[in-house]
Amino acid sequence: MTRLACPFCGPRELREFEFHKTGPAAGGQGEFERVYLRVADPQLSIEHWQHVGGCRAWLLVHRNPSSGLPLAVELLAGNAP
Amino acid sequence: MTAPPLRRGTRLGSGTLSFTFDGRRYTGQVGDCAASALLANGVRLMGRSVKYRRRRGLLGAGPEEPNALFTVGTQAQLIPNVQATQLLLREGLTLRSQNRWPSLQVDLASLLQAGGGLFGAGFYYKTFMWPSWRSYEPLIRRLAGLGDAPLACDLPMPATEHLDCDVLVTGAGPAGLAAALAAARAGARIVLCESEPLCGGELEFERGRIDGQDSDSWLAAMLTELDRLGVRVLTSTTVVADNHGEFIAHAEPGGLPGSNTVYRIRARTMIAAAGALERPIIFANNDLPGVMLLGAAERYLARYGTAVGRDLVLFANHDRAYASAQRLLVGGMRVRAIVDARTDAHSAVGLSDGNALQSLKGSLATAGVEILSASAVTIAEGGRAVRAARIAPLASGGHERRISCDTILVSGGWSPALYADLHGSGAHAYAPELGSFVAAAQSDWHIHAGAANGRLDLAAAMSDGHAAGTRAAAAAGATGDSGSPPQARGDPPPRLAPFARSPCPLVGEKRQFIDLQNDVTVADLRIALAEGFSDIEHVKRYTTLGIGTDQGRSSAVVGAAILAELKGESPAIVGISRSRPPYQPVTMRSIAGFHHGDAVMITRRTPLHDWHAAHGGVLEPMGLWMRPRFYRASGANAADAAVAEARRVRAHGGIADSSTLGKLEIAGPEAAAFLDFMYLGKASTIRVGRSRYMVSLREDGMVLDDGLVLRLAEDRFLATTSSGHGTHMLSHFEHYQAARWSARGATVTDLTDAWAVIVAAGPQSRSTLAQLLGAAWQGPLAQLGHMDFTAGRYAGQDLRLLRASFSGELAFELHCRPAIAARLWEALNAAGLTPYGLDALDILRVEKGYLVSSELNGQTTPLDLGMEALVISSSACLGQALLDRPAFHEASRPRLVGLRAADGRAPFLAGAQLTIDAAPTRPCGYITSSVYSPTLGEWLGLALLARERAAEGATVMARDPLRGRNTPVRVVSPVHFDPTSARMKV
Ligand SMILES: [Zn+2]
Repeated sequence: MTRLACPFCGPRELREFEFHKTGPAAGGQGEFERVYLRVADPQLSIEHWQHVGGCRAWLLVHRNPSSGLPLAVELLAGNAP
Repeated sequence: MTAPPLRRGTRLGSGTLSFTFDGRRYTGQVGDCAASALLANGVRLMGRSVKYRRRRGLLGAGPEEPNALFTVGTQAQLIPNVQATQLLLREGLTLRSQNRWPSLQVDLASLLQAGGGLFGAGFYYKTFMWPSWRSYEPLIRRLAGLGDAPLACDLPMPATEHLDCDVLVTGAGPAGLAAALAAARAGARIVLCESEPLCGGELEFERGRIDGQDSDSWLAAMLTELDRLGVRVLTSTTVVADNHGEFIAHAEPGGLPGSNTVYRIRARTMIAAAGALERPIIFANNDLPGVMLLGAAERYLARYGTAVGRDLVLFANHDRAYASAQRLLVGGMRVRAIVDARTDAHSAVGLSDGNALQSLKGSLATAGVEILSASAVTIAEGGRAVRAARIAPLASGGHERRISCDTILVSGGWSPALYADLHGSGAHAYAPELGSFVAAAQSDWHIHAGAANGRLDLAAAMSDGHAAGTRAAAAAGATGDSGSPPQARGDPPPRLAPFARSPCPLVGEKRQFIDLQNDVTVADLRIALAEGFSDIEHVKRYTTLGIGTDQGRSSAVVGAAILAELKGESPAIVGISRSRPPYQPVTMRSIAGFHHGDAVMITRRTPLHDWHAAHGGVLEPMGLWMRPRFYRASGANAADAAVAEARRVRAHGGIADSSTLGKLEIAGPEAAAFLDFMYLGKASTIRVGRSRYMVSLREDGMVLDDGLVLRLAEDRFLATTSSGHGTHMLSHFEHYQAARWSARGATVTDLTDAWAVIVAAGPQSRSTLAQLLGAAWQGPLAQLGHMDFTAGRYAGQDLRLLRASFSGELAFELHCRPAIAARLWEALNAAGLTPYGLDALDILRVEKGYLVSSELNGQTTPLDLGMEALVISSSACLGQALLDRPAFHEASRPRLVGLRAADGRAPFLAGAQLTIDAAPTRPCGYITSSVYSPTLGEWLGLALLARERAAEGATVMARDPLRGRNTPVRVVSPVHFDPTSARMKV
């Protein structure tokens, strides 16, 4: 993966972005489950990235960790971590 | 030493160059590499091995070379571990051999080792165990290792270039050229990297016919077409690493000063067409100078006009050796014998071009070349270099031969260059017909082609390249016509029979060298197996097979084959070890690029930065900022200056630059609710014009940061963060704003650079400000309560005045526009409030028990820090739910306490571990901060101590073995000074 397509800025160099956390929770209702129990799926990782070197938007990135390729990028808007 | 062999000049130019090797002056020719120039001067000894210090000469002529590693240059422009085969000769080059002392000819360590025999695998680990490996390590490291790292670096800045393309083709041999051409014709954007100075690859030796032309004419026409199609061709440039699709290429192997460039290439698809690396066959003493790869000899002849020796014995397991022998004969060398490890039955019978081979063998025999089938070179004889080859028939019954020669040329087949795959997760499979491994899967973004894909004959390699280029272009969305595949005819296929090593009695296996760079022998592999290290990756680590700069280029495939033989398994099951990037040594200077010296990171400057620097402020980094620790005028040394500055603040007052505080404006109808969520404690209950100390938590409940939150209006707040945390806190606020509050009315705006902050602290601060700011400010100043703020104008600019204290004194934060910061600062200074730095601030805040990142260290909860009241006042803030976890309430959890020396005098330092007498080796806490307090006349500390030990009045031991100090200390309140805060509330 060398680029991410920011919904505002278009495809941009990966080093403009910062990775912060992986979601979503594996399940369960409690806060402990939400914070600590995360899915580790080799085919799908749902991640939070920020375009810090650009528009500073927070993004929800769906990525295939096996190939390293992004599957979808959208604004984080309202998708609670 | 033999006389220099014949010399005809290089293909790359004309003229002579002078250079030195180990202090001696030599002459080379333009276009020479360091290896060919030394070879032409009759130099055969080019280094010593890492472990045994054995004499080593050249094995190869390209990137596979494991032995001839030189240190290039002098003093601060030194580059170690440069392969002589990859180093283009330049006028005045200074070269030094490595791994020898005092000299290459006489090496002390090799003499020591000659007495004790050879060290086997695991020798160091097993022998130097008492009292510990560490006590021997410095000595062993001095004797071992590759080149020395330079102690200073004054290399000029290398260029960094970013390239973007659809298809990156690595290797401009027949397959790479066919691939680049097909993809470019189809309309894709191409970068073509070739590690050699010239394109063409094997066409340099194998003069085939392509599309009805001789290969030279075809090559010239194709390079013209590539240029016309806009293909970026980078010669002398090696792709050294694949960083998940960003390929790092390095021009000028060795990174010579002033000439190297690092390319960062973002390509949709990489076509790996870097060819195949010839591998040796292993026999006893195969590390003697004079044992070389057959293909290397051909390259030295074809490219550099240099003969590798006079009397040759060839040892191979394929048909190509015969054509090579013919070319070497034409080049003027005597080929004494060809030792073919295959039986006659395997080599030619029943093949369409068998007749051609038979007639070639006939003419070789006529020229005096002895052909020994089903035989193997078993031992290389010689002391300083090869003098003879001992040859034995592989079937029983024959008799052993000894043939005098000065060079043994060996070829055990070709291993596809898989390096980029072996760096990553690419799967590979064993190909028995090659005796090597190929890439197992080909995806649209990573395609192997040509010899790198196991296609060793010209026609197959070129059609494979063409197919790869066509596929990559289509995957990139290019719709043009890639043309028809080139029709090529070259040498017949080699018909190889895998043969990894010659028969050898057990005792001789100590001299059958598999990995020349790391001195790994067949005997070492046996030891590894005997001791239970049987997986190829374990064997690599236990024996050091394939480590170092070589990373198995010359040894991995042979090592896998021999391990398979010893285990009685197929190489397909044994597999091959992964290698590490970079593919060739790259200087750290090249990787750093312009991120060097002051430019390693950006520096943020407060509006008063220059003032501090000009007035004796000793600046230190805090995050990206530089802040004054103390001012030189305050004292003779750092400690004295800090004490003097702190004393002045308590006596009458001082000023400090706090512009580095992060300042985030939170605005909107739901700003208060948002902050209630982001902070422990309630922002919604702060009245307009007031501020409050607030703490934020991570979602796991640990304290993240603290600061003051000011309510500017009903719907507008200013949150300050600690200086080192500003950028992180901005992202943190933005993250939760986006994730949870984006549809609601709260915005986050970074105002850090919009406001300078000057702190005026001390008993005189209010009167000085009243005098300085003018009549309009006197009323508001007099009425301003603790934690209140007021706004107005000064010198025509906005000024906010906040009454808050981090020193325990009456104090004010002046939030002013950067334009007037220096003017305001100088006026305050002139009015008698002199500057104090961070060290003084540290004294003042420890006296008051205020916290910094030493205490808010990411491992402390608000309960640990005595903030129960804040926790109770809050509801459902970020991180609060997880504070209920039982472990956070156990008696062993830390508690913030104050410490004093039990005798009231002894010093103690932050970092010391706290213990009780009953358990002197099991710390129950540690000191986070310590200062000498001029106000109280003794050392004060803050510490995190287990709750069960944290009762005031208890005595614990502060153990500080590294600094040789054990101090009994007494637990006290963290608020050492003015516990009622009377001084700041006046
Ligand atoms: Zn953006």
